[in-house]
Amino acid sequence: MHSGKSLASSTASNDPRRAVISEPPLVRYALLAVALGFLGLFLVMPLAAVFTEALSKGFRAYFGAMAHVDALAAIRLTLMTAAIAVPLNLVFGIAAAWAIAKFEFRGKDLLVTLIDVPFSVSPVISGLIFVLLFGLQGWLGPWLDDHDIRIIFAVPGIVLATIFITFPFVARELIPLMQAQGTEEEEAAVVMGASFWRTLWNVTLPNAKWGLVYGLILCNARAMGEFGAVSVVSGHVRGLTNTMPLHVEILYNEYDFVGAFAIASLLALLALVTLAAKSFVEWRARAAIREAIAMAEAEGGVA
Amino acid sequence: MSAKISGFRQYSVLPGFGPAMGFTLTYLSAIVLVPLAALFLRAAGLDWTAFWGTVSSPRVLASLRLSFGASLAAALVNALFGFLVAWVLVRYPFPGRKFVDALVDLPFALPTAVAGIALTAIYAPNGWIGRLLDPYGIKVAFTPTGIFVALVFIGLPFVVRTVQPILEDLDAELEEAAASLGASRWITFWRVLLPALWPALLTGFALAFARGIGEYGSVIFIAGNMPMKSEIVPLLIITKLEQYDYAGAASIAVLMLVLAFTLMLVINILQARLQGRHLGK
Amino acid sequence: MSIEVRNIHKHFGKFHALQDVNLHVQTGELVALLGPSGSGKTTLLRIIAGLEVADSGTVLFHGEDATDRHVRERQVGFVFQHYALFRHMTVFENVAFGLRVRKGKAKPLEGYIRARVSELLDLVQLGWLADRYPSQLSGGQRQRVALARALAVEPRVLLLDEPFGALDAKVRKELRRWLRRLQDDLRITSVFVTHDQEEALEVADRVVVMNEGKIEQVGAPDDVYDRPASRFVYNFLGDVNLFHGRVHQGQAQLGGLEVEVPEHNGTLDTAAVAFVRPHDVDVARYRSGGPTIEATVRHVKALGPRVRLYLERTEEGAEIEAELSRERFEELALAEGEKVYVSLRKLRVFVEDSLSAA
Repeated sequence: MHSGKSLASSTASNDPRRAVISEPPLVRYALLAVALGFLGLFLVMPLAAVFTEALSKGFRAYFGAMAHVDALAAIRLTLMTAAIAVPLNLVFGIAAAWAIAKFEFRGKDLLVTLIDVPFSVSPVISGLIFVLLFGLQGWLGPWLDDHDIRIIFAVPGIVLATIFITFPFVARELIPLMQAQGTEEEEAAVVMGASFWRTLWNVTLPNAKWGLVYGLILCNARAMGEFGAVSVVSGHVRGLTNTMPLHVEILYNEYDFVGAFAIASLLALLALVTLAAKSFVEWRARAAIREAIAMAEAEGGVA
Repeated sequence: MSAKISGFRQYSVLPGFGPAMGFTLTYLSAIVLVPLAALFLRAAGLDWTAFWGTVSSPRVLASLRLSFGASLAAALVNALFGFLVAWVLVRYPFPGRKFVDALVDLPFALPTAVAGIALTAIYAPNGWIGRLLDPYGIKVAFTPTGIFVALVFIGLPFVVRTVQPILEDLDAELEEAAASLGASRWITFWRVLLPALWPALLTGFALAFARGIGEYGSVIFIAGNMPMKSEIVPLLIITKLEQYDYAGAASIAVLMLVLAFTLMLVINILQARLQGRHLGK
Repeated sequence: MSIEVRNIHKHFGKFHALQDVNLHVQTGELVALLGPSGSGKTTLLRIIAGLEVADSGTVLFHGEDATDRHVRERQVGFVFQHYALFRHMTVFENVAFGLRVRKGKAKPLEGYIRARVSELLDLVQLGWLADRYPSQLSGGQRQRVALARALAVEPRVLLLDEPFGALDAKVRKELRRWLRRLQDDLRITSVFVTHDQEEALEVADRVVVMNEGKIEQVGAPDDVYDRPASRFVYNFLGDVNLFHGRVHQGQAQLGGLEVEVPEHNGTLDTAAVAFVRPHDVDVARYRSGGPTIEATVRHVKALGPRVRLYLERTEEGAEIEAELSRERFEELALAEGEKVYVSLRKLRVFVEDSLSAA
């Protein structure tokens, strides 16, 4: 849902026959203008605003804001959080996709639905559940307090909330792709005596690599950019429990607009890189699908 | 698919089911199921009058109205414009189309806090657009209109990305058949194309709607956050938490989840009706 | 309602899909456009329908220029290869669509629509399926619904694109006989596209053989089969044996075989190819009076009432296919490896210039 169109279902067709059944040119231009105008207003303008505001006091102020101790601490924490959450969800994604895509078992549909749950929970509620579990008044709060373990209003809480929010990304890209690829190649590998790890590493993952990369890109973007859930569990301690998005909020609320937009511009750049990487992967994956189809057709032709 | 499974799972020569499934279930439970269960247990521990007292307070009701109303309005606007964007992207080749296509996912990729402050900067009375509207007494930032604007931004890709693939796969023959039977372009659109696209459009609308209800980051900067006026439900949950009113926060959260879940259920049923009709079931 | 196509050209990018195509379809005729894929037959059909616009040339309906008329106004019934039924409408509504979309005075009353649709569904023998959705029908039923829908608008011309292409062999045969009968009853000018020669020869009044964007031959089924106008038509319609040789003043030398070809009396020592159908090849155990070729039986294959022999020419090792009736084969009592003498009952010689033209 949150990841837009999935890789497994993306082959664009450009039908040259549409000439007779299209709209009059005037209607076409008008619709095109309205659509692009809408996108300009709602997508391009905010993006432009981020960079304009960030640079409104010149480059010196811009880089000065980014080099601030608290800003650097926020960048470090964001990178660290992503460095923990993304690999964990990657391992989970592969395990879940292996079990779901390569085997038939009861309750599969339910499992797939459950994996998607974090996407349909409000970010604030995603944070809240961990507060209810680990917070001072939470189920485990008193016990944690006795043992002097802090999860809420500390880094572990931020990491947990981030893991929850980005939980489905890799799995939901891998499952349909690996399902579509079937089990024949793995069975062939096993018949030839390959071990589980060898089959996974040399057969399954190379086939699914673009889906994997796609899931990772989206997972990472969300892990670095998550605001609501992290905001609930962080406690907003500058230099300690502030991720980049939270730091943006603090600076903004203190009317340090250049500072806020400077950090925001870094996140916006991350978003642009994500979009570019995503487009590249989609393009590569489409090329791979085309090759596979061409190969299947060539085989069919010989037989 | 699962009809012919006799035991828990069908026999397979492939190894690794046990460990993979074990890890999947453990991780899923630890990260998702147990924490969510904690929320429901907490709410279940409340007595009914306390729960009802919380969720029926005027402030909560006002925020529910606002969250659902603004999300509905934004989702409707997105259904219209998202459809238009998908239509244009699929059907009208224009220079830079690939770039625009990639850009549509910006709301997915851009951290919500960034979107929030950017939209606020634009629509504030001294912002690029706010400045144009201010002389006419139209205020967007720090009003419910601002919330609507932020939710339009957040929800757009849902509609585009659900309608686009269906539109791409639509067989040109259908429109040719309609034309050969004498149907005008307009009639073809209403009677042939739109019915085929309804389910996707409805899904996109529902996703945008649901996302809007839960959205926090992009909204709080532009909302103004005035109790009874421009305070969204997620913000109210945070306010309760900050007052250490865990029970209150849990009550509102559960109500929100239940409402959102019911909404999705209704839309799924509607969807099944729509598709079932094609299958004649 | 006659159709005339004049000097049609069509390019798709650099691909020349139709090259100066001219065709006249008589009123009430059922014509097949036959050719391999890429021959331009579907493009031609779509240009007649108005679904495709030609680069140049004209399309006349009943002598009237229809080139610039939109498909909506051409009053053609078009049946699509994959039926293009509207999934969200019942069979009844699919057939009624063309009547319902009419505007103003032309819009028929509900009662008329009901009567007309029922009549059409009865015609295609599907009245009992009126309330079903397309997804609940078999391929053959969908095809008939598509036909009823096309007929509902009382088209002046019926155009069918590979109408039986997506059906399995048995349904296909039934349906094409049914189409022939329907055409005999309705007498509506019809053109259908096919790549199946058997289908074209069985169903059509006239067959238009197309190749590489050009019309190779137009004629009655017997005509094109028995008297192919070009090497391509010979090859495309049925199996054929090739004999390479030379022609000089009405005499063809085909590797040891000398044949009279009076139609090439004026030709002087030119390379030529002779085409012979397997059933025009006769096989004998002994050399007879006429010109014969010596060959060895390599393989025998019985196909129901016919027997096919794969022979190898003693002289040059080339393969000849012969088709005999079972009686004749049993009379000869041939076994693989035996030597036989081959004579040609009927052959067609194409000299080099007509080769390059083909």
